[in-house]
This record gives sequence, structure tokens and C-alpha cells, in this order.
Amino acid sequence: MRREAIMASSSALHARRPGVTSGTRSALSAGYRRKRLRRGLGRVGTHAGLLAIAVFSLAPLAWAISSAFKSDTEIMTNLSIIPAHPTLDHFKVVLRESDFGTWFLNSLLVSLGTTFLAILVGSLAGYAMSRWRFRGRGVYGNSLLVIQMFPGVMLAIPMYLLLTRFHLIDTLWALLVTYLTFALAFSVWMLKGYFDGIPREIEEAALIDGTGRLGALRHVIMPLAGPGIVTVAVFSFLLSWNEFFFAYVFLASNDKFTLSLGLYSFIQQFTTQWGNIMAAGTLATVPVLVFFFLLQRSLTRGLVSGATKG
Amino acid sequence: MTSRRQAVQDTIHLENTPAAPAPRRRRVGRRRFGRNAMAYGLILPSLVFLVAIVVYPLGVGLLEGFRYHNRLQPWLTAFNGFDNYVQAWHDNQVWLALRTSFVMVVGIVAFSYAVGLASGLLLNHKFRMRGVYRALILIPWVVPPVVSYISWQWMLNDQSGMVNQVLAKLGVIDSPVLWLANSKLAMVSLIVVGVWSRFPFMMITILAALSSIPDEVNEAAAIDGASRFQTFRHITFPLILPVSVIATLLQAIWTFNDFGLPFVLTGGGPANSTTPLILLSYKEAFQRFNIGYGTSLAIVSMVLMLALGAVYLRMQRREGVYE
Repeated sequence: MRREAIMASSSALHARRPGVTSGTRSALSAGYRRKRLRRGLGRVGTHAGLLAIAVFSLAPLAWAISSAFKSDTEIMTNLSIIPAHPTLDHFKVVLRESDFGTWFLNSLLVSLGTTFLAILVGSLAGYAMSRWRFRGRGVYGNSLLVIQMFPGVMLAIPMYLLLTRFHLIDTLWALLVTYLTFALAFSVWMLKGYFDGIPREIEEAALIDGTGRLGALRHVIMPLAGPGIVTVAVFSFLLSWNEFFFAYVFLASNDKFTLSLGLYSFIQQFTTQWGNIMAAGTLATVPVLVFFFLLQRSLTRGLVSGATKG
Repeated sequence: MTSRRQAVQDTIHLENTPAAPAPRRRRVGRRRFGRNAMAYGLILPSLVFLVAIVVYPLGVGLLEGFRYHNRLQPWLTAFNGFDNYVQAWHDNQVWLALRTSFVMVVGIVAFSYAVGLASGLLLNHKFRMRGVYRALILIPWVVPPVVSYISWQWMLNDQSGMVNQVLAKLGVIDSPVLWLANSKLAMVSLIVVGVWSRFPFMMITILAALSSIPDEVNEAAAIDGASRFQTFRHITFPLILPVSVIATLLQAIWTFNDFGLPFVLTGGGPANSTTPLILLSYKEAFQRFNIGYGTSLAIVSMVLMLALGAVYLRMQRREGVYE
């Protein structure tokens, strides 16, 4: 964009140069017009490209959600995204004939628990990483990164054996601690990055006023790291809300299922009743989308600054 | 009062060794520990979780990988040295699964990078609707994967799926295409769905890298008469290359470890043609009850990923973003 502006102004400079005959001037302005046309085409091209990508991104979901509102016969006959005769029947079936409510609550409990603990435990560790150079700091930080690269099965098989031995298999606690461990890596590094950006003088003032280290962290540092905390919260929540593998391995009874697992069990229960399956999928997606759109701005900003900072 | 202030400032200065490259002092001993006791206290809670959820199970898992352990014959459980790995070496399934993992990772990472780069470049100037596009394109990234994979499974269904119905209506195909039931096409479908769910992350990372390039750089290139393509080829791309490499490595690791995509979309079929090593390891351990053998396959996967992970950590350190 800027570059085009510069090019346009340079051609304007040429046009104003004295001694240019009227013929060349009109040729130049034709060139300028061509340039403007090209710029216009470029803008159209940008929108066309982005539109194509957005359609690729959204079409599958739009179609899935619209099917949730179509009757069974309409699903088979009407390919349009907009249902001809919208109905809520599938949603009623899902809410009445399955433990959807329980699954929803389970997911909410695990996700909120993970989010809260990831911020609490992560801010303590992130603060330590940011303000002290203790021995083992590098090893600690690296091992947080390395566990993100572990194949889930490598942990799931032995954890399954251990949880069975300690009678924690098929409980939400098993999921909570597992998700927390994975969320911690992100939380610690992200918050460390934010704490690094907060000048030490600010907490020195608090320390001189007699507040302890923890007090300074809680009352001075944390409020200043707001965007970072939002990013960590969204990330941890999404991680636990969307996780499937560990839930599939650790949970067995229907009333313990999280949403992802419940949805998967739907395929077995409703085999080809796609309307019902899509209604459940829609219900599971709505909270995530609402959350995402509310926080989209600060989330992308947090991710962007986090990515450039490391 | 002044003495107290002085004391507090002293401790602050002692604790906060300057961020500039601290001289490496190995044997500082007890005094240093005392100074850092607070830091150790602060990381303790997270350490407890790390040890309980990662280190301890990892140890148990490493032992399991060297045992014969079948849950249908628990009485036969015994250490068998490297037998599991010898068995894996001669197991055709394992080689097929490795090949599948490789094709999946290369296909998904390469195409999601291409789409992510394209959308990142398109979004990297200011215009109205920019935020809208960015939000819309990010949606696949936040939707629960199980929901997207189930939707795709239905879309690609040969009888009732939207893809075949639309293609038939347009007259492109006469008979239904077996998107998920033909082993070659199932792989293609897997890659398409993988790209769909993974390119938004690529986009946001590349966008971050692009927006950190000062406008002056591009302007200078334009004044020197560089075309758009030349600017990209010789200036923009080299500047985003480090971030690209790191994002690509991370995506490769995550794609390799992705269980949900093949499990929900194809179930690993038809005829194991879409069963990557991760899924095979799971099937051995939990469906065929070969805990020992399944774990040994997981260990193989882990070693492969740690190798990639080592490259990643080295890259990050060289980029100086680490630290």
C-alpha cells in the first residue's frame, strides 16, 4: 500500500517537472491511470484471495451448523446453507436423549479448573523465571518446552497404568492434572515474557513500601500483565475444552465424559443421524466461538507480541 | 527508615543479577542457593506437577518398553530386553505406519505453510475488513477438533456427503468418489482436513513475523525499483525465514503426534493405510492389549520427536528469541 503511494507521488513529481510537453504529460497520466487500475485490481485480487481462503475455512462449519437446523428429509435433499424450514428438533433430541448437560458441565469444570491453576501456578513460575537466574533455570524452561513435543501415547500408556493403580482412572481429576501440565508450558513462558517487559523499578517501589515479593506479584505485576493473562486463559481453556485423546483413554463411564468424548460416542449411538450429531457439535462449539470473538482482539495481540518476543 | 530502604535495595540488587550475559559461576554454593530460595519456592508447585505427570510416568513407560506385558496374559509379564524393538523392526505394520506418518507430516505441514503464507501476505496491509477476515480464518483453529473432524467425515461420506452431492450436481462425477474408503484418496482427505485445521496457526505466526518488518525496508526496495515479487523473494522471505522454520518444526511435531485426526476421520483405515505410528502404538496398547509392545512403539515416536525438538531448541536459541 505505502509503496504504491510512493510510486504514485514520484510519478506526480515527474509530471510537475518543467519543460515536459503536453503530449508526454498525457502519456504519463495514462501511465498513472494504468497504475491506479493495477492498484485497484490488486485490491480486488486481495479480496478474492482472502474470500477463497475464508470460504475454505468456514464452509465445512457453516454447512454442519446449518444441517443441525434442517429436518432429516431436508438434510438429504436440500444442499443450501440456509435451511428451508428451520427446526430445533435435533437440539431437543440431543438434550433429552443424551447426557449432554452433564458432559457440558464436566468440560466446563475441567476447563475452568485448568485455566485457573495454569494462571496461578504459571504466574509463580513465570515470575521466578523472569526475575531470578537460579541454577537449573535453563533445564526447567527447556523441559517445559520439551514436554509439548511428547507424543501423547508415550505418557498416556504409563499414566493409564498408574491411574488405575491409584484408583484415579475414570475421574475428572486425572484430566485436570494432565491438561494443567500441558497448559503450564505455555503459561510459564508467556507470562515470563510479559513480566520481562515490566520494569523492575515498579516492584522495587512496592518492596520498599514493605510489601513482600508475593504481594508485589499479586498487586503490582499481575494487573500490569493483563493481556498476557488473557492469552494464557484463552489458550488453557481451549486446550482443555478441545482435548480428546487423554479423555478417550482415561474416561470410561458416560457421566464422566467431557464434550469431545461425548460427541465421539454420539457417532456410535446415532450412527447416521447426522442432524443430531451436528446439533450436538453446534452446542459444543458455541461457547468456544463466543469466548473467541469476545477476546479475539486481545488474543491475537497477545499471540503476536508473544511470538515476536519468543 | 533509610537503613531499611538500603537493605531492601541491596537484596533487590543481589537477587536481580543483571540480565546482561551473566558470567558463568559454577561453584557459588550455599549463599547463592539462599539468595535463590524464593525462586525455587515459586517453581516448586509446577515442578510437582511435572514430576507427577511427566517424569514419573515417563520412567514407568521406559521400563514398560523393555517388557513383555500383555493384559490378556498378565502372568507372562517379564523383562525381555530389546525383543520389542526387534519385533518392531520386522513388523511390516510399523514400516507402513512410519511411511504414513511421514507422508502425513510432510503433506500437511507443506500445504498449511503455503496457505498460511498466502493468507498472511494478503492480510499484511491495512484495509477495512482486515480484522474480520483474520477472525474468520482463525475459526477452524478454535473449533473443537472432534467437531470439525466429524463434520468433515460426513462431508466426505461417499453416499450422503456434501462434497459428492455438489460434484454430482455440477456434473463433474458420475459415480460417488470414495473419499475415505479408497486408501489413496483417504490419505488425500486426511491431508486436506489437516491443512484446514492447521493453517490458521501458520497464518498468525507468519503475520506476526511480517508485521515486525519495518515499512521502511519495503519502501526502500520499492524506491530502488524492485518488483513486488523481487521484494518478497529477496527481502520479505529471508526476514520471515527464521520464524517460518520454527513454526514448521513445531507443526511437524504436533502433526506427527496428532491422534484425533486419523482416529476420528478414518479410524486408520482402510486397511491401515491412514494409521500413523502414534495410532498404531495406541491400537497395540489399548485394543490388542500389548502394553509392552505399544509402549516400545511410543518410545520410538518419542525419540524421533526429541530429535526434531532438539533442532527446534537450537534454532530458537540461535534466533535469540529464547532467553
